Amino acid sequence: MPYRLRRLFKSKKQQAPSSADQKEKTPLGTSLKDNLKEFKKRTGNSSDVVIRTLTTGGMQWEAAIVYIDGIVDNTSIDEFLLEPLLQLEVPTTPVLQQDIPDYISEQVIALGGIESVLDWETLFEAVTIGRTILFIDGAAKALSTSTIGGERRAVEEPPTEISIRGPREGFTESIRTNTAMVRRRIKNPNLRVKTMKIGRQTKTNVEIMYLEGIADEKVVEEVRRRLKQMDMGSILDSGYIEELIEDQPSSPFPTIHFTERPDSAAGNILEGRVAVFVDGSPFILHMPAVFIQFFQSVDDYYSRSYIASSLRMLRIMVFLISLYAPATYVAATTFHQEMIPTQLLIVLSAQREAVPFPALIEAFIMEMTFEVLREAGIRMPKAVGQTVSIVGALVIGQAAVQAGIVSPAMVIIVAITAIASFTTPSYSMAIAARLIRFFLMVIAATFGFYGLILSFIMMTAHLCSLRSFGVPYMAPLAPFVPADFHDSIIRLPWWKAKERPRLISGQNNVRQGDDLKPEAPGTQSIRKQRKNTGDLNED
Amino acid sequence: MEKAKINAGQLFVLIFLFEMGSALLLSLGIEAKQDAWMAVMAGMFGSLLLFWMYYRLYLFYPDMLPTSYMQDIIGPFLGKIAAYLYILVFMYNAARVLRDFGEMLVIFAYNETPLFIINALLLLLVVYITHKGIEVIARTGEILFVVLYVLAVTGSILILVSGLINLDHLKPVLEGGIGRILKTAGTETLYVPFGEAVVFFMILPYVNRPDKIKPAALSALVLSGINLSITMAVNVAVLGVDLTERSQFPLLNTIQAIQVAEFLERLDVFFMIALIVGGFIKISIYFYAAVIGASDLFRVKEISRLVFPLGLVVLFLSMVIASGYAEHIREGLHFVPLYIHLPFHVILPALLLTGAALKKRHSVNKRN
Amino acid sequence: MKIKLYCLTSALVGIILLSGCWSNQELPDLALVSAIGIDLEKDGRYTFTVQVINPGNVAGEGMQGTGGSESPPVSTYTESGWNLTEINRKLSKKVSRHIYFAHTNLVVISEKLAQEEGIMPVLDVLERDHEFRSSAQIVISHQSDAEDIMKTLSSIDKVPANKIINTMKSTEKVWGEHVSVSVRELIAKLVSPGEAPVVTTFHTIENQGETLQSIQRTNPDGRLEAAGLAIFKKGKMVDMTTGEISKGIVWLLNKVKNTAVSVQWEGEKHAAVFDLIRQQTKVSADVEKGGTVRMKVNVAAEGNVSEVQHPINLASPQALNKMEQRVEETIKQSIMHAVDKAQELETDILGFGEAVHREDPEKWKKWEDEWEESYFPEVQVDVSADVFIRRTGLRDEPFHRYLTK
Repeated sequence: MPYRLRRLFKSKKQQAPSSADQKEKTPLGTSLKDNLKEFKKRTGNSSDVVIRTLTTGGMQWEAAIVYIDGIVDNTSIDEFLLEPLLQLEVPTTPVLQQDIPDYISEQVIALGGIESVLDWETLFEAVTIGRTILFIDGAAKALSTSTIGGERRAVEEPPTEISIRGPREGFTESIRTNTAMVRRRIKNPNLRVKTMKIGRQTKTNVEIMYLEGIADEKVVEEVRRRLKQMDMGSILDSGYIEELIEDQPSSPFPTIHFTERPDSAAGNILEGRVAVFVDGSPFILHMPAVFIQFFQSVDDYYSRSYIASSLRMLRIMVFLISLYAPATYVAATTFHQEMIPTQLLIVLSAQREAVPFPALIEAFIMEMTFEVLREAGIRMPKAVGQTVSIVGALVIGQAAVQAGIVSPAMVIIVAITAIASFTTPSYSMAIAARLIRFFLMVIAATFGFYGLILSFIMMTAHLCSLRSFGVPYMAPLAPFVPADFHDSIIRLPWWKAKERPRLISGQNNVRQGDDLKPEAPGTQSIRKQRKNTGDLNED
Repeated sequence: MEKAKINAGQLFVLIFLFEMGSALLLSLGIEAKQDAWMAVMAGMFGSLLLFWMYYRLYLFYPDMLPTSYMQDIIGPFLGKIAAYLYILVFMYNAARVLRDFGEMLVIFAYNETPLFIINALLLLLVVYITHKGIEVIARTGEILFVVLYVLAVTGSILILVSGLINLDHLKPVLEGGIGRILKTAGTETLYVPFGEAVVFFMILPYVNRPDKIKPAALSALVLSGINLSITMAVNVAVLGVDLTERSQFPLLNTIQAIQVAEFLERLDVFFMIALIVGGFIKISIYFYAAVIGASDLFRVKEISRLVFPLGLVVLFLSMVIASGYAEHIREGLHFVPLYIHLPFHVILPALLLTGAALKKRHSVNKRN
Repeated sequence: MKIKLYCLTSALVGIILLSGCWSNQELPDLALVSAIGIDLEKDGRYTFTVQVINPGNVAGEGMQGTGGSESPPVSTYTESGWNLTEINRKLSKKVSRHIYFAHTNLVVISEKLAQEEGIMPVLDVLERDHEFRSSAQIVISHQSDAEDIMKTLSSIDKVPANKIINTMKSTEKVWGEHVSVSVRELIAKLVSPGEAPVVTTFHTIENQGETLQSIQRTNPDGRLEAAGLAIFKKGKMVDMTTGEISKGIVWLLNKVKNTAVSVQWEGEKHAAVFDLIRQQTKVSADVEKGGTVRMKVNVAAEGNVSEVQHPINLASPQALNKMEQRVEETIKQSIMHAVDKAQELETDILGFGEAVHREDPEKWKKWEDEWEESYFPEVQVDVSADVFIRRTGLRDEPFHRYLTK
């Protein structure tokens, strides 16, 4: 049965794209009346569709403009389309009926992007992205003018990726704004942007961006291939794309990194990664991603390397804590009491004395409570968010302990875990840890440290087996690539980072000049001078 | 042969972890009493010769697995039998290490858990990683190597700080003379753990840079020898010869003796991590060698088809090879070195090498 | 193929997970044993006493629900039988929880058992059991049963076992008449032919310190205090030393850290006190051709003068030199006392045999078996001491230097 099902599924998948390709295109008619009628029919008299008829060319040509209200820029329609049309005098040289559109596009309309449209399908594609269509009576050709506009969110500080020091702007929902923000950072003609439209219903613009000559050709080709294969009904966010093109969808660990910050996107493109922009999503994807990348924050690159390195190591340590803290507590208190120092054990034991649940259940209750609180905190309207935190603090912190349902030690563990899980810069990595934590707790309660160590090895093996677009996920740690190590769990100063990551940018590895290390000017000469004159402080 | 490549650094890590594997935990070469550490070193130097032999053998056939080139050297029939025997030996060794490992866990932490469950869990992991192939084993090895080294360094610092080391325990040096050391090396440490590196002649064809094999492998052997030797010296210095001799796992006792600042004590988990990580890598490599050997010999293209059945065999073998720990250890001391280590680690490779060399000369003569 | 693989894996994982949970036990199911005491009955049976911690009464203060410390911080349970494992199992008749030995830090063996039967038979299980830690300290009860020591409460350290261990460690450090010995060290010395163990003895007053009332007094009734050093020979306790001799033994074992040495001055016996800061004692053997063994003991010590009762001019280096010589004499004397005692008892508690072993392994092989009886008592010992007085505290000359004249 499953085989048959699968075959069925397969055949459907194969048929689908071919039917889309074979769709016949219906040409426009010549009569304005018929065309408008057809247009109305096709849009089903939607109320946001605006049709304005007019005469132009000295009252001799019947014409109409149509657009969808809200996604167009009204000012440019009024000033650069309507005004010249209405003020158009009779042309000095006579114009043939079928040449009117060309005449108008060449001599009248003061807008940048004009295309002529011959069939209805192209026409609707144009209208739905906010272009305005000009029909002219007697010509089987319409003009589509670029009047894309409408209300958009302004560029703001990215809410999910905060940095202390660094640019404050974040991506918006507009794909053009987003690509522009990256382009403004990389002023290099080799920066390529390739567009495709994905989604049967939504026809979403998806663009890939990379630096020709630095990005690995094979990866670019692979990204394009995978995007082309997608035949989705709709794409509403880059999350759709991520799920459909990643290497290992069944793994809890993300193999594609996303960001909301243009500086981060630019940095990744400069390292040779490919970025995927999706219209309507402020999150752009870049690939290939490696494990360690999810623990790097943009701040690391803007602060001193010692500090950045220590913070990165701290984050990795804390990530392990957020995974293992409750599990270790469960394992230690139910299996390995001999490994707890005596004094600590007496304290723990005194606290557990009155708790009615086994350690695993206790840990589960508390972790679940915390997860619920966190979820509620995200979904609640901001105005009532305060309530959640107060109730949460009281429920977790005080009442549960006073009622003797959980032990204070468990509360501490959960609090540590919770805070620890917020330090991972990448949300998708942090959320993976949340999931695995529960699994580890069960393992800990069945096999103690043995299970935990095995699960650690298992996780390591799994991580080592992952690849993201051909790049081993754990690079540059395993396989150990000494040349790339300068930017992994540590970040060495820029003058040590002469090369780009080897596994990511296939060619053209050298990124900067030699001898970047700063030295105080004239150090040598000052020293010499001191030798001759003694310490300058004395006079 | 699986289409995969590992680099010399990964080979280094694998050999190192493999050697440290279970040897780290046992009282290695304790027949030489307080000179056990020297016996370990002597065994290590002997094993360099052995490894050179395996390496020469590899040089004759750099792109082939031993299971194939054995047939080339001594004829298809005998070669197949030899290859088959090697596969059996690797599986037996995997089962032995698994049993060692399971027994240790049962003795020191999981008294009431059946051995079968302990073994099955670990074997599940081994099967998983073998299924993923040598590249993943190697990469995992790299990370576990760091874990193990961090542990070792922390442990050594703690032992030093606790002031447990009593160098008087290591004296008198050379009490039994060089003879005793060489005897211990020749009967024990040369084969276990160092001679066990024979399994790597199954792995060598996967290394991407043949010119780097020799330095990587030899330095791994030397480093592991030094580490093991230090470990034994520390064990004896902390516990004394008698206790080291009687203890099933001297390292555990050493670690248990650590007491720093009234809080850093009871660090058994260090021992446990070392035990599991080492055991895991060792079994994985033995098992992987058996699996690729079998896939090569029986022309089974997909390794994953062999992984589960062979895994079950190893699991059950680990249960039935001995009825109790004492029997298991006795087999290991008296039966295995004579009937398994000597012929398969030393004699057979030597014969194969001679055969390959003669064959080469023969073909060169023919061409001339 | 893949589906089958997944099925198999998930089935295996399922079986394993569902059948798990063998060795686990929750904290409230454990009776944490802080100390064990072993006594010998008249008929040769052992009496085994466990001191179980009541965690709520130790750590309970400031926590809700556990109430005040109306009940004692530990409870003891006693059972007798022919071997310890059996007794341990039988104890379950009296204890509601799993008796858990992983945190046992103290083993008390009664003097009677140590003298009559020897300690060897009871040590095996302590070493073999995986729960029990051989880093636990061992003491001998002096003039009281091990059971009494188990039962005596202490006031500052809530757990009496800790009180004993801490007392022993601190007195070893600041006074140097006792040594703390772990089970592991004890066994190592028992098996070595060139060494015999000494173990600290503890004393309490019977039936006095069992109630909470007894520790509510400023001067607790049942006093747990270190008595002396039990000397072992072939696993049996043969004597107990105190005072000077004990100190000599500790000097020889190089375990003295701090101590105070009285200095004789112009006929007055306790005229000044030398306060030892650090010392190093080296024992080396010198085997002569004829077969006589000469031990060389060298003590290098430095310290301060901490108290002067006689008007001595401490500002003068000559006086200090003289004082140093007096201290050297005292140390030498106490070491010689210890050597005499050990030779008289024919037991090598001083580790001379090991020194010979290190020095001359071949001779040692011949002597090994009868070392203690034939050779050890004949050993000649040369003691030399170098004492340095570094400082004299905040004053040099005492304030009464003119008053008493």
